[in-house]
Amino acid sequence: MTEESPKKSRLDPEPIARRDFLGLSALFAAASTLFFALLGMLKLPKTAVLSSPSKKFPVVLPDSLATGEAFIPQGRSVAVFRDEKGVYAISTICTHLGCVVKNNPEGFECPCHGSRFSVDGTVTKGPAPRPLPWLKVTRNGDKWLVDETTIVTPGTKAT
Amino acid sequence: MSTNTTNQNRSGLEKFWDNLRALPEYFRGTAFRTGVPNTDRTRSSFVFGNLFLHLHSVRTHLWSLKWSTTMGLGIITTAAFLITLITGVLLMFYYKPYPDVAYLSMKDIHFVVPTGRFIRNIHRWAANIMVVTVILHMARAFYTAAYRKPREFNWLMGIALLAITLAMSFTGYLLPWDQLAYWAITIGANIAQSPRELTDALGLTEYIDPGGLIRLLLLGSDNVGPEALIRFYLLHIMILPLILAMLMGVHFWRIRKDGGLARPVDAESRLGVLPTNTYPVFTQAPAKTYQLAAVVKGRTPLVGRGPESTVPSMPHLFYAELAVLMFTVFICVTLALISDAPLKELANPSVPENPAKAPWYFLGLQELVSFSAFMGGIGIPTIVMIGLGLIPFLDREENGTGEWFGGTGGLDVVKRATFIGLAVPIFIETIAISFGWIREWFPQTPQIIVTFINPATIITLAYALYSIYLVRRYNSTRAGALGLFTCFLCGFLVLTIIGTYFRGPNWVFYWSPLDWPKH
Amino acid sequence: MDKNKYLLLWSSFAAFIVLVIAALSDNYWKDWQQIQKNARADGKTIDVKLRQIVIPELNTTDRCVSCHVSMAPGEQAMTGHNALLAHKSVVHDTSSFGCTICHGGQGLATEKDDAHGNVHFWPEPMLPKEFSYAGCGTCHTPLSVPNLNTLTKGKTLIERYDCLACHRMDGRGGTIRPDGGGMEGNDLSYIGIKGYDLAWYSKHINNHNEAQTGTWRNSFGEISEDDQKNIASFLSTRIGAPKLIEAKALFNSLGCMGCHKVNGVGGDAGADLSRIGFKDPGQLDFSNVTAQHTLANWLAEHFRSPISLVAGSQMPAMGLSEKEIELLTMYVLSLRRRELPSSFSPKDRAKVIQFKEREFATDGRTLYGTFCASCHGRNGEGARYPNTQAFPAIASPDFLAIASDEFISNTIRKGRAGRRMAPWEKDGGLKPNEIEAITKHLRELGKTSFTPEITPPRWVKGDANLGSRLYKANCSGCHGLKGQGGEGPALNNKEFLGSATDTFLVQTITKGRRNTPMAGFENPSPIRQALSQKEVEAIVTHIRNWKGE
Repeated sequence: MTEESPKKSRLDPEPIARRDFLGLSALFAAASTLFFALLGMLKLPKTAVLSSPSKKFPVVLPDSLATGEAFIPQGRSVAVFRDEKGVYAISTICTHLGCVVKNNPEGFECPCHGSRFSVDGTVTKGPAPRPLPWLKVTRNGDKWLVDETTIVTPGTKAT
Repeated sequence: MSTNTTNQNRSGLEKFWDNLRALPEYFRGTAFRTGVPNTDRTRSSFVFGNLFLHLHSVRTHLWSLKWSTTMGLGIITTAAFLITLITGVLLMFYYKPYPDVAYLSMKDIHFVVPTGRFIRNIHRWAANIMVVTVILHMARAFYTAAYRKPREFNWLMGIALLAITLAMSFTGYLLPWDQLAYWAITIGANIAQSPRELTDALGLTEYIDPGGLIRLLLLGSDNVGPEALIRFYLLHIMILPLILAMLMGVHFWRIRKDGGLARPVDAESRLGVLPTNTYPVFTQAPAKTYQLAAVVKGRTPLVGRGPESTVPSMPHLFYAELAVLMFTVFICVTLALISDAPLKELANPSVPENPAKAPWYFLGLQELVSFSAFMGGIGIPTIVMIGLGLIPFLDREENGTGEWFGGTGGLDVVKRATFIGLAVPIFIETIAISFGWIREWFPQTPQIIVTFINPATIITLAYALYSIYLVRRYNSTRAGALGLFTCFLCGFLVLTIIGTYFRGPNWVFYWSPLDWPKH
Repeated sequence: MDKNKYLLLWSSFAAFIVLVIAALSDNYWKDWQQIQKNARADGKTIDVKLRQIVIPELNTTDRCVSCHVSMAPGEQAMTGHNALLAHKSVVHDTSSFGCTICHGGQGLATEKDDAHGNVHFWPEPMLPKEFSYAGCGTCHTPLSVPNLNTLTKGKTLIERYDCLACHRMDGRGGTIRPDGGGMEGNDLSYIGIKGYDLAWYSKHINNHNEAQTGTWRNSFGEISEDDQKNIASFLSTRIGAPKLIEAKALFNSLGCMGCHKVNGVGGDAGADLSRIGFKDPGQLDFSNVTAQHTLANWLAEHFRSPISLVAGSQMPAMGLSEKEIELLTMYVLSLRRRELPSSFSPKDRAKVIQFKEREFATDGRTLYGTFCASCHGRNGEGARYPNTQAFPAIASPDFLAIASDEFISNTIRKGRAGRRMAPWEKDGGLKPNEIEAITKHLRELGKTSFTPEITPPRWVKGDANLGSRLYKANCSGCHGLKGQGGEGPALNNKEFLGSATDTFLVQTITKGRRNTPMAGFENPSPIRQALSQKEVEAIVTHIRNWKGE
């Protein structure tokens, strides 16, 4: 058949008798399948559940806790206070870059970049863009349930 | 750059503007230097201009593209490897290689990682498929006598790849840290230690203890613990895949350097009339050398051959390869959807799994190990590996290359050898299962005798003798090789089936798992 | 060449479909997704997402709340699916303890069968609902639990004195308000943990005496001291798990610890039960269990007929009622002690593990029920099980009349070497005061006191040859030719020969033991003549010649 071939040179384009629909659709199917698989694979690294302890946790306040004195539950970045109006919790995670702020009688102080917060969490100095958030506290028998995921307006106190 | 003519008259800012507009096209030109691959030249440069494609030669023989030539087994193996590679990397996002924690992370992957279970199933199935096809691929290469000159070295590469594939699979087996994993690896590590059986029997262990050394290197401790897990992990995700990828590169590169896939001398005439949309080359005279004649010595494998029915690899070969890849993907995802990878209870070093079975492809060996750890686990496999490696150097005949069951004896020998290959292990196993072995008959027998005279060695010996008989009868090494290879394949099959389906707790023979005693 | 393109097309297409199915089942078809999608809290939908409780100290990650959403900390009751019912009110909240520590099961799992643990490869399936109190045993060890009789008596007294008219207990009673309005009597359900005013009775009776009319006058009266004691012992068991206490009280009546050890206390003949509740059902033989293959069903069947489940088991079938079997199963399931960080370790457990306090009441009756009843009978009547030797009836008046307290307590302390009776002064055995209490309890059971012997311990001097002949003829059938025992107890036994006085032996032979195969030889029987005093003494002399093996 080669002798009768209409082709003159191997450098000429192949004569395309018809568009190769079969080849194109096969390629398209393969590409879209692989793309779909890629999407599925990209989903994998996005962790569905976090291995950190639950963000809602109970706190038992010691009877000796004085007004304005912070109670820091072990392993938590939350300061729980009690005064005559009730119990409230302030997050001790700096709103600047996430360091844990230290509690002192004047309020809170961040060791990383020098942000200062007053006792109610408002920024008094430094780069922190927002006040320390107040967290939702609910009463559960003789325990207090602190919910780190729910932020309440400052001044909200649970009784 | 269509604006070239007016370039001189344009201000700098305008030129900058033009360049900016032409950016996409210009960029495309730098990335893909050849145009649409629709001529032989552009197709060629499409292949050799691409890092990933240039392992292929630019033209592929039509014989290689026939489905019956390779059945795509090599490509399936490669595709399965790529799939395990990708899924394996994904699993590493969540897997934590430390005892107990590893098991919990497997549970996480199974239950809460998005797509985690599916990915793990694919990983597991692709690994199994890889083991199956790498064995079948070797059988294909053997039966088409594709190992012959000039492909001897590539045959050795293939054997190395087979060994590494099995090692990859085995090291991955420990990682889930469940009962199955723990006890399979405990047994595996003790098989690695089994040269001690020999040195013990000879009273040499206190002077030289290769078995103990291998085991220590493998486990990093005296039992399967955190050290062993991290070592297996390192082997599984790093060392072995790197070696495998490297050897695969060599293997592929040698295919090209050895002149493509093996094919019969009269391949052209057997192909008959070629389809009209292919472009055979060298219709006039075989004058090409591919190599720079003045610089490189020697002949290319193609010199001296007649006109060849080759087609451009782009797109013909790539369609075939892509098709096989997608076919493998389809098989893997389907199996992954239907069947979950096993995960038993957490590894418990004080309660052995009974029976503790290795992955299925090792159950033939485990069956042999039940007679002698050294012979079954080290001796026979070593002999088989050496035997396989020697084949191309001993069989230097030329007839039948590239043809299924080609060479002296051919299909006839294969049929006879299949019978012998099945009958011998069944017969020996029947004796061993019904009447026991030397130890049961003469309890005082020294270990050295049991090590050298047991069903494993007897089966091997029977195969070897049969093969020598074939060499004499057909007056051909190829006939002997055909017989021996077929026998070993059949032996592997029989022993694997016995190990998988007919061995229960305490490695006792049972007709069916339903008869196993319930502990 | 087209066939490659077709292969590519169809493979890709098929793979695509499989991937779509996989994506759907991963993202939409899971049970927890369906449940959360249909869940309504206050009529509003909730976020569909995986939920879990993580308690790092307990190594607990419980995803149960992915389906049982309303049981998550701070959630409220929801509608839409049965799994969404709120947890009933309990002392322990999920936010501090998670779920699996009490209920068992596979907390990491997010699918029902896996999570509930009814799968082959999870060794700790969930406790069945009817046995959920057994979960308390993971951390707790109920202390001072009496035997079933005492417990029932306490319960009956509470009912009889109508304490529940004012007080609430385990969800019952507490309707009358003593002062006409105000607080009702306090809830007694957890009184065993919280503790109570020891002077409660004098205060109550004071109120009664002062009141002229009204509830105090009409509803309270005098209670005898004995009854007060029983009530006190009952109240100390009110720790919020009434059924578990009942189960343990039954366990403390059946003498199980005569053979089995629990937390280091008990006999060595049977298996250690300390962690039996964690037994992996996958390792058990269910071939003779017709019910569902759970540990609870296996245990229950095992109590019905031990030998049919454990080949070669020496444990006798106890002939228990189904109710008793259920209770016993519950208690045995509760033996599932887990290692805990010290901050989670409850006081009761520390008392038992660190301070070796008893986890059963130490009155004679309970001690007898806990350690002795399985062999010697619940009332000391002795026992005979198929394929075992007979166990002596130690509350027999005939025995108690001639056995001194010293003889009995010696026997308990030293046991009988070579026989089933263990030396209970061993580690994990009984303390001296407990042995004393048991001895005292035996006297109460048999209602017989010991008549002190006037004779010295060794006074018999008979004809040993005659004794040997007579022994062969009359005794060897049951006690063995060399006194090694058989049907009857072994006589050729060091401890026995050491502590039995001559009078004890002579009396036993002449009077026998009523209601046992041992006849009194002073009377003739149809097959033999009566033995004279001299002949009996000859036999005793013969017995004394043994050295004890």
